[in-house]
Amino acid sequence: MDRRAFLASSALVLAPRLRAEAAQTSRITLLHTNDTHSRIEPFPPGMGNLTGRGGIARRSTLVHQLRKELGSVLLLDAGDTFQGTPYYNQYKGKLDYQLMSLVGYDAATLGNHDFDSGVEALLEAMTEARFPFVNCNFDCAGAPALAKRLHPWLVREFQGLKVGLTGVGVAFKNLVSPRNHQGITWRDPYESLKPVVRHLREKEKVDMVVVLSHLGHDLRGDTHDDLRMPGQVPGIDAIIGGHSHTFLEEPVRVSTGLGTTVIFQVGFGGVNLGRMDFTLSRGELKAVTGQALGVAPSPISS
Amino acid sequence: MRLRNLSALFMAAALAGQAPQLRKAEARPVNDSLPGDPALLRVIEPAQKEIESGFGKVIGQAPDGLFKGRFGEENLLGYWIADAMRERASALGGGPVKFAFTNGGGVRTSLKPGPVRVGDIFEVMPFENEMIVVELTGAEVIGVIRESLQRRGGEPCSGVRVELSGPVQKPILKVTWADGSLILPGETVRVVTSDYLYGGGDGIPSLRKGRKPNTTGLTIRQALLDAVQELTRAGRTLGAPPAGRYKITPELFQAMRDRKLGPIEGE
Repeated sequence: MDRRAFLASSALVLAPRLRAEAAQTSRITLLHTNDTHSRIEPFPPGMGNLTGRGGIARRSTLVHQLRKELGSVLLLDAGDTFQGTPYYNQYKGKLDYQLMSLVGYDAATLGNHDFDSGVEALLEAMTEARFPFVNCNFDCAGAPALAKRLHPWLVREFQGLKVGLTGVGVAFKNLVSPRNHQGITWRDPYESLKPVVRHLREKEKVDMVVVLSHLGHDLRGDTHDDLRMPGQVPGIDAIIGGHSHTFLEEPVRVSTGLGTTVIFQVGFGGVNLGRMDFTLSRGELKAVTGQALGVAPSPISS
Repeated sequence: MRLRNLSALFMAAALAGQAPQLRKAEARPVNDSLPGDPALLRVIEPAQKEIESGFGKVIGQAPDGLFKGRFGEENLLGYWIADAMRERASALGGGPVKFAFTNGGGVRTSLKPGPVRVGDIFEVMPFENEMIVVELTGAEVIGVIRESLQRRGGEPCSGVRVELSGPVQKPILKVTWADGSLILPGETVRVVTSDYLYGGGDGIPSLRKGRKPNTTGLTIRQALLDAVQELTRAGRTLGAPPAGRYKITPELFQAMRDRKLGPIEGE
């Protein structure tokens, strides 16, 4: 008898009332981009190994293929949608958000460059976005119109699986000129996340917490980053990162005493689309017996 | 009541035990193996045409042109680019940017006398290189100048004055800030350059020491387009910055060209 079958049979013996649930495994796929920087067309000639890569129309094809194949999918973006090509100078982000809406993004957060033309221009661009924005560390008391567009958290429900989403942004200092973030005060992202993650877990009873982070992957202890977030904020399952343009081939796992967090980021310019498939086995239950009876994790393929 | 609390506790424990498991993860390349989604292409194509037609738009005037110079001549177009980078980077906030350094090799053509069109600026600077602001010490700023002279015969910069004199075997370097004041080796200053050079392109090791990199998201080209438009708005034309940023004796220039320059000494 292999381990999986043994555990399954133990679960039946130990907790027969949970039998129906024990059989349930829910799946969700997170697809994600970061720092697309108005890179609507593929990279032009003269860009070294980036030439010919990316392009939002191709990304859309890939996303539609994966949605069809996988069903439960969340398509997310970790910010810095704006700035980098003449498309931004011409359309001030409206075209970016319009196209992202056509691709079918479920949510995005804001990066520093999304403020490059100021709050009014950002709000104007947001009129084209048919998806919500999440952020919990921008205090928009002085920018009520933006406050209306930024959700501190969101909950998305799939078959047997509830996902809590939130987002954090990098400090404005030295990155965004004060007139471009008028009315918005940056707050400590870890401290802002703590009550949000707690709320999502305890009140919303989500199965999974996903943070869209525009902090950067590894700031080596200089300031807040993705790698140090799990040690500071318990209860995060996945961090979809941005800002540092870090090309990762697969997620980094950070384990703390409180669990494991996976952290991913896929470079910039839409060169890659990140994909993470998660399963949640209801049979793991049971704290009734105090045992976690789980399906042995399979290796991550890349 | 007590019982309900207890069951809530068990429930919390149960929930904590159910962590989602990562089963598969990958960075899927987006490349030409994927056809473009027609629904998006329909929106992109007219926008692309609009952008391209914008290339012909006149945004300023350069009555005398602006030239990058030949080897041995000062790259005045390069100076103007470095000035524009420094001004723009300073305006982004975070304090003044004291030094700008770019590469003459990235300046692809000169600006002809007459009207300046968007497309002309694209020809001068076809690359998508982004401006990046870093912190360097005064000693490292001088190091950047020394390495660029030794290896590449000098590069366009802004914020300093450079003098190279003395014998070919033992040239002596003197660098001051543009106003003639001393560069203190230990002072920390903000410096703007391109992501290409900061990433090690053209091999200027001192530049790579830059700390606290701030990717501005602004291409150098965008800073140039903005600079021309700003001049036009102010009712001014585009002209060459004054020569004299680099003072190098003809013998030393010749030695640089022949790659016979000795190790550069000096501060």
